[in-house]
Amino acid sequence: MAGFVDLNIPHLPEKESLQKLVASAAHLGYSTVAINYVIDYEEKKKEVVKPISPSELFTSLPMVQGKSKPIKILSRLTLVVSDPSHCNILRARSTNIKFYDIFAVFPKNGKLFHVACTTLDVDLVCINVTEKLPFYIKRPSVNVAMDRGIYFELVYVPAIKDSTMRRYTISNALSLMQICRGKNIVLSSAAEKPLQLRGPYDVANLGWLFGLSESNAKAAVSTNGRAVLLHGEARKTAFGVVYTMKKPRTPDEDDSTPATKKVKMAL
Amino acid sequence: MVRFKNRYFLCEIISEDLHFQQSIDEWAVHNTVKNVVARMHGDFGLACCSIAFSVKYLNAYTGIVLLRCRKDFHRLLWSSLPFITHLESRNERYRCSFNTLHVGATMRTCQKFLIHHNRNQLLVLLRNCTSEDRQAIQKSVQSCKFVGEEQYNSEDEESKDEESDDSMK
Repeated sequence: MAGFVDLNIPHLPEKESLQKLVASAAHLGYSTVAINYVIDYEEKKKEVVKPISPSELFTSLPMVQGKSKPIKILSRLTLVVSDPSHCNILRARSTNIKFYDIFAVFPKNGKLFHVACTTLDVDLVCINVTEKLPFYIKRPSVNVAMDRGIYFELVYVPAIKDSTMRRYTISNALSLMQICRGKNIVLSSAAEKPLQLRGPYDVANLGWLFGLSESNAKAAVSTNGRAVLLHGEARKTAFGVVYTMKKPRTPDEDDSTPATKKVKMAL
Repeated sequence: MVRFKNRYFLCEIISEDLHFQQSIDEWAVHNTVKNVVARMHGDFGLACCSIAFSVKYLNAYTGIVLLRCRKDFHRLLWSSLPFITHLESRNERYRCSFNTLHVGATMRTCQKFLIHHNRNQLLVLLRNCTSEDRQAIQKSVQSCKFVGEEQYNSEDEESKDEESDDSMK
């Protein structure tokens, strides 16, 4: 069975509070978390920063509850797009962008939602839960997204914080479920404080409120999150099959003569 | 003859407040859970969940709670547990969150799970504790035997985990 995944731990400026957040996620039983960096064009926050590395954050990674393995920390970039030109950053192969494991978009209108589902090279599409959905979710774009292996993300912490947000969250989630029938959903937290995080079984059960069936809700916190990670990893490969990485060289291999010549000399 | 089927929720209350431990009792938990069910599911949900609802066990030191409700409506109760943000007791609010560890059909399975869980917790705590604590734990583990419910005593943080095992027996 795949471990539990929480794909949305917001990047906080203070290192200490981020440490606390990750440690409490490990205590609750999440085996993988992704730290989320948001780029919002309306707030003129355009630069892509280098993500914080796990070794920078912890000297020894916190252990996951119930398993004797350390927690896995990933990085994720979220683009808040309200104009098609904002998506160019994903195509530009700039220096910092290749450090991120997962790309997500937050579309602000129906046209961009369609573009995100059909053509953009992303792993996650965020669904707005803090206000009434400004567009209708259409079946063709969702079907294309499901074929391409793109997942939809629902965030549950606004529902815990506030009662009006809870109504928007549930109604938006239900309207999405009518279209996608409970498939390709990822539930994640976006918690800013450790006390706002919930355990994975509780989150799976929250999926019941959002209209997911029991097995789909369980998949939304475990296997679907893993599928998103693999989709993000496949971006770095050729056709999703071949993956190259640099091998650390040993000193005796470092001779200038190639291996074939060495054999001849030995003869 | 059929019998009524129940579900037992083994929950952990997570809190950062230090005064939390002394000032919490079963009624506070009972009222908080009922309030949150009423807020989430309305009068109908409250009526369904309050059949045979009770707080069976509360350990304020480790923050472990055992709740009981009928099997037919346990989904209603479970889906409202994540929305608890604070406990109210003696007109004071303590910020906390509930984390469901186990949902069992009998109290016996919940107890077994809790013993297993506490043993794991103890191993995690042992990894980053000082040598004095470690010796104290060793001493208490070696002298460990099953005694009555009232006769145990605890000195430090770590031995409290064992304490909850004993008191459940």
